Amino acid sequence: MLSSTGGNKKMGFITGFYRWIGLSGTVAIILGLGFLLVPLLPGEFPVIVAVEILILGLFAMSFNLIYGYMGQVSFGHAAFFGLGAYTTALLFRAFQATTGEIGYLDFFLSLLIAIPVSAIGALVVGFFCVRLTGIYFALLTLAFGELLFYVVFSWYGFTGGDDGIQGLLPPPLFRNAVNYYYFTLAVVTVAVALLWRITQSPFGYSLRMLRENQQRAAFLGINVRMCMLMNFMIAGTFAGIAGALWGPFQRSVSPVLLGWMESGIAVFMTLIGGAGFFTGPMVGSVIYTALNAYVTRFTIYWPLTIGIIILVLVLFVPGGVLSVVDARIGTYHHRKQPKADLLDVSAEGRRE
Amino acid sequence: MPTDIGSILIQLFSGLSRAMMLFLLSSGLSLIFGVMDILNFAHATLWLVAGYLTYTVFQFLSTTFGDNALFIVPAIIIATGAMFVLGWALERFLVRRMYQREVPEQLLLTFALILIFGDLIRLIWGVQNRRIFLPIEPVEVFDSYINPYFFVIIVAGCGVAGGLWWFLHRTRYGKIVRAAVYSRDMVSALGIRIPTIYAGVFALGVGIAAFSAGVFLPIMPIGLGLDMDLIVQCFAVVVIGGFGSILGTFVASIIVGIVYSFSIFIWPGGALAIIFLILVAVLIWRPWGLFGTEMRY
Repeated sequence: MLSSTGGNKKMGFITGFYRWIGLSGTVAIILGLGFLLVPLLPGEFPVIVAVEILILGLFAMSFNLIYGYMGQVSFGHAAFFGLGAYTTALLFRAFQATTGEIGYLDFFLSLLIAIPVSAIGALVVGFFCVRLTGIYFALLTLAFGELLFYVVFSWYGFTGGDDGIQGLLPPPLFRNAVNYYYFTLAVVTVAVALLWRITQSPFGYSLRMLRENQQRAAFLGINVRMCMLMNFMIAGTFAGIAGALWGPFQRSVSPVLLGWMESGIAVFMTLIGGAGFFTGPMVGSVIYTALNAYVTRFTIYWPLTIGIIILVLVLFVPGGVLSVVDARIGTYHHRKQPKADLLDVSAEGRRE
Repeated sequence: MPTDIGSILIQLFSGLSRAMMLFLLSSGLSLIFGVMDILNFAHATLWLVAGYLTYTVFQFLSTTFGDNALFIVPAIIIATGAMFVLGWALERFLVRRMYQREVPEQLLLTFALILIFGDLIRLIWGVQNRRIFLPIEPVEVFDSYINPYFFVIIVAGCGVAGGLWWFLHRTRYGKIVRAAVYSRDMVSALGIRIPTIYAGVFALGVGIAAFSAGVFLPIMPIGLGLDMDLIVQCFAVVVIGGFGSILGTFVASIIVGIVYSFSIFIWPGGALAIIFLILVAVLIWRPWGLFGTEMRY
């Protein structure tokens, strides 16, 4: 389609604009407008769902920095989400202990400190993980994530163990769901803009090269491990920012936030939306979180319903929702699926 | 650290029987990953389904023919057979479509299975824990009481381990499976029907897991959510031992089981943190595991 309309001088304004901003840009504009309009919906429920979409969407987008851009799978990404959440929660508790109620300065401080803490955590974990690739990278991240999960889970004196930490009441202005929603929207928008800048930088393009061929990247003078470590740290930091927002939103944190199921959520959202697109994970978050929120309302069998929906998506929509949209519209910049190996017999199995 | 031999023996036996369960679960996982490169996150959920199935068959037999502890044997056999068939069907209709996909997509599929089977369990058996009570008197060993059923479990676990070793090293099909771990392309080039081997290995893995679920029902109550904890421990065992190595999986299960039960003396509640610390250390030191070969790394 690109070639047929490419030489056409009478390209319409809309087509030209779409060409210019791409599918991700279009999706970003639609999502942005949608998020601004959410508070107009009746009731508080849509706003609460939207906060969850934004936080988990940022978490999934930070995961996609490792998966979609760098080509490695992290099964322990929730460790940094949880690290951010627990840093904020523990500081909250410390400030509450001294002043009774948390002030605005303390509130912002406890959110901000989550950033360096999750960055340092990601640096330490990443230092070991970037030595491996493929399935071993995935398993080592899973192992670190579970290690951290069980430490938090069993260290009652410091983290509250499996009870978690409750009573994280933000200062008065942010107690209102709509106000907290705008606050989250502002933070996530800035974070997403930063992520976009990173992925469009020379560093971002180095990451894409690491995904395609690490050896060639090394030949071209890229310090492969350093590049992977930097990216791991950046991804962990953004996950930490998402985690920091989670505690004051839910008013509590629990060790589940660090477990492999939480890491899995980032993976699912990314795959459902489309790992090959910058905005894919956010679209996945909209689909997954909204489904979760609304299916729970209509049926008690929501795991069954969601399980079947995921099954259908993974079987019939490989590459995510956005890649289907992309194929329909006919741009070509999505990530190519790996071609079937001619010798591989499982291709034969599929043909049966 | 207590010094009396009785409590150490109790921890030893409970650790060994836990090791046997981990081994039975992980050996299937290790085989499936070794042969087909599929990380089956739903493995422990299928184990859970098998446990409930065994429970139902046992209850049915007990109410129909009167109470008899030995009914657990036919219950285990029936449940194992049913799960073997289910495993075959799952491979044939779902997992087979995933071989060409990337790891996260496989995870997504098996996660969907976790949700579906988990909810089916809730639908059929409800949320309360289930276990089978067998009238077994504890025996006295060095002033402490040990459930003799531990011995049954250890013997059953070692028996399956031996049988699996015999199957993989002494029979034609076992040798084909081992060959497939090293080179699928070569095996298929020799004219062996790989799809059948794949379905068989998947069903065998699920069958062994089903057997372990039945054997453990008398000492361990099963409930929803147990599968989530177990599956990551199984991954720990498989990775520590090395993918595709039955001996490695066996040794790793014993290490993990013993560490689990003895850590109660050092850091109560921190058993799993210690196990994942070991896993992290092994992955950093030898990513291919203690007994795995560097070949596929």
